[in-house]
Amino acid sequence: MDSLRNSLQRLDPRSGHGADEPVSREREGNRFAQLRGSDFVESIPFWLPATLLVLLFVYGAIGWNVAISFTGWSGLGQPDYTNFTLEMYRQMPADQNFRASLRNTVALLVAFTSVSLVVGLGLALLVDRKIRFENTFRTIYLLPMALSFVVTAIFWSWMYASDGLINTTLAAVGLEALAFDWLGDPRFKLAAVIFALVWQFSGYCMIVYLAGLRSIPDDHYEAARIDGASTLTLYRRVIIPQLRSSTIGATVVLMVFALKAFDFIYVMFGDNPGRSADILAVTMYRQAFSASEWAYGAAIAVVLFALALTIIGPYAYTQYKRGAL
Amino acid sequence: MDRNNSGNRGRTRRTVLQGAGTAAVVGLAGCLGGDDEAEDLDELLEEDPDEYEPVEIGHWWTAGGEEEAFQALVEGFEEEYPEIEVESSPSPGGAGSALEADIRNRVVDQDPPSTFQVWPGQALTDYTEEDLLYDIEGHVWDDDMREAYLDGPVDVSRPHGDFVAVPINIHRLNNLFYNVDVVEEADVDVESIDSPSALLDVMETVDEAGYVGMAQQTQSAWSTLQLWAQVLLGEYGADVYESFIEGNVEDNESEIRDSLQIVVDYNEYFNEDASSLSWDEASGYINRGEAAFFHQGDWAAGEYEADEDLEYGEDWDHVAFPGTEEMYALNMDSFVFPKHNPSPNATVRFLRYAGSADAQERFNPAKGSIPPRTDVPDDAFTPFLQDQMSDFEGSSEQPPSVAHGLAVAPSIQTDIEGAFANFIDNWDVDAAYQELVDSFE
Repeated sequence: MDSLRNSLQRLDPRSGHGADEPVSREREGNRFAQLRGSDFVESIPFWLPATLLVLLFVYGAIGWNVAISFTGWSGLGQPDYTNFTLEMYRQMPADQNFRASLRNTVALLVAFTSVSLVVGLGLALLVDRKIRFENTFRTIYLLPMALSFVVTAIFWSWMYASDGLINTTLAAVGLEALAFDWLGDPRFKLAAVIFALVWQFSGYCMIVYLAGLRSIPDDHYEAARIDGASTLTLYRRVIIPQLRSSTIGATVVLMVFALKAFDFIYVMFGDNPGRSADILAVTMYRQAFSASEWAYGAAIAVVLFALALTIIGPYAYTQYKRGAL
Repeated sequence: MDRNNSGNRGRTRRTVLQGAGTAAVVGLAGCLGGDDEAEDLDELLEEDPDEYEPVEIGHWWTAGGEEEAFQALVEGFEEEYPEIEVESSPSPGGAGSALEADIRNRVVDQDPPSTFQVWPGQALTDYTEEDLLYDIEGHVWDDDMREAYLDGPVDVSRPHGDFVAVPINIHRLNNLFYNVDVVEEADVDVESIDSPSALLDVMETVDEAGYVGMAQQTQSAWSTLQLWAQVLLGEYGADVYESFIEGNVEDNESEIRDSLQIVVDYNEYFNEDASSLSWDEASGYINRGEAAFFHQGDWAAGEYEADEDLEYGEDWDHVAFPGTEEMYALNMDSFVFPKHNPSPNATVRFLRYAGSADAQERFNPAKGSIPPRTDVPDDAFTPFLQDQMSDFEGSSEQPPSVAHGLAVAPSIQTDIEGAFANFIDNWDVDAAYQELVDSFE
């Protein structure tokens, strides 16, 4: 506060330190004129309102959430901010449901991201081979991403139903032994969710990779061909290495989506999917809004936030180092 | 731009950020405040106010018969009090969880609607613990109402001593619906089944006859939780059940394990697609004559009454869940009087109306439930509901429901439901028992 007041005084030419300092006063005046002309001051109306709103509603809310996670707030009373403890975080390791949902979250994150990348890369390589109807294929693969999670969750719960499309098809080709109860059997629940999410997002990976492929200059292909590289070597030595930044970009986006897969699971199973498909986001919602354990829900949110930061942090840092931010 | 200038810029930016931070903190502090004491109800209420604030009613009755029922209630109220405007404030979705979240947020912000739909009993724990509801004894609960209500509904209206809720309807949970043809074909006598374990033997007979023993949904946990509660009630009686909901899980270990095991055994005779169905899809097994039995709250009767091919008593029928013939297991909705009320004078009149025979006679036939008052004429009700009403009046016990929040506080209920979400995954009695123990801790 003091520094703010000081700087305000500094900005105000009339509040100089008395008439016995004419020189200093003149300098202050100069500085003010300089400030008024500077880009920074002139740009304030453009960025300040948005910055304030973001500070309040994004960072303020995050900070508030962290504060709540240190309280013992539950029920419908007001939180008590006088006594901060780590009690909520201490509960976590013993909470079976928390552990299961953390494990599922990580499994979902890793499996969903890696499979989507591989499928997306495969599709991109295929579509990039100047096939016929390239645009049509591209649209077909990308379309699922345009759908909301609510739509795809309902749609996949029909597909996975015991008499749904998947099991009917398996039965029709004589593979009845493989027709499992996809959404009921704890062995398959999470895998079924991951499969559906991969279906939804591999098109996005394809587009990212396709853009990456298109940005590789033709000279590289020609040079490799002239040097006698086989198609396999061409991919391994020339193309795939140049897709590194596409991969990193897509990975970060996919991982963040995986952390937020809340809507998909909530629509499919409600707020209590059972331990085999529970993820942190759903556990957080259940604790806060079904059980009114606000502090515990907030603590889970902090863990989720920390996970997101560990994913985005290194990426943002390297981008910053490279001057891309 | 020279160095000096850019240094200057840096300092200014930092100062501006500091200022912004201060503003944000001040703003937050503003949001956090608000511990105003609610006014006393006696001072708020006027005998004959000149005008009324509109009464805002939070509810999730937004589709089908429920919507009709709510409309009928509102119409009745408006006839009685034409000077009071009703503002319906629906939060559809999530079997009430959307409303629950909306209401909780508004109550925490001290900005509740005038009244809202809520399960009575222990479901109100969060509200009563923080003293957020007015005691309405005398203002709403008068002698006339006390006389018209049986003990079970009265008890859930004052879960922690004070009268805080006005029940509007009762859904029965201890039902066993059956398809008459299937049962005859399998040659079993439904009336003679006297316990949940006896039902298991009957389902085996039905299975041998080529039908599904019991239609069930295991997509979400509540139906199985409900079923287990009826098994516990039917096999071991209301006392063990009461003891369980009071948290004495370990004292009743063998009963709880046995009843869980019975449900696991039932699972053998469930329809194979149970895990991908909703309750109404599961009830279709009775409509189509593919299953013998179906356990569900009495709202399932609506599925059969709407089916033109089926006749009550001839094609489909109902008995109390085996072993619970003397009971009427309660699932109810109620209205409450939240503090910081935007319209006290209108709210109290609405609550009085909701507790009247007229309101309950209008509301319940369309809802497919019975009135909590025992003095409501039954002419407007279907034959099925008329039978339920006479069962209710003759019942000796009215145990509250765990699955629908009447029996245990919300945080416990969430944990119990979580235990059953895992139970329908793995059908592991040991794990489920342990989680039930943990739920009350």
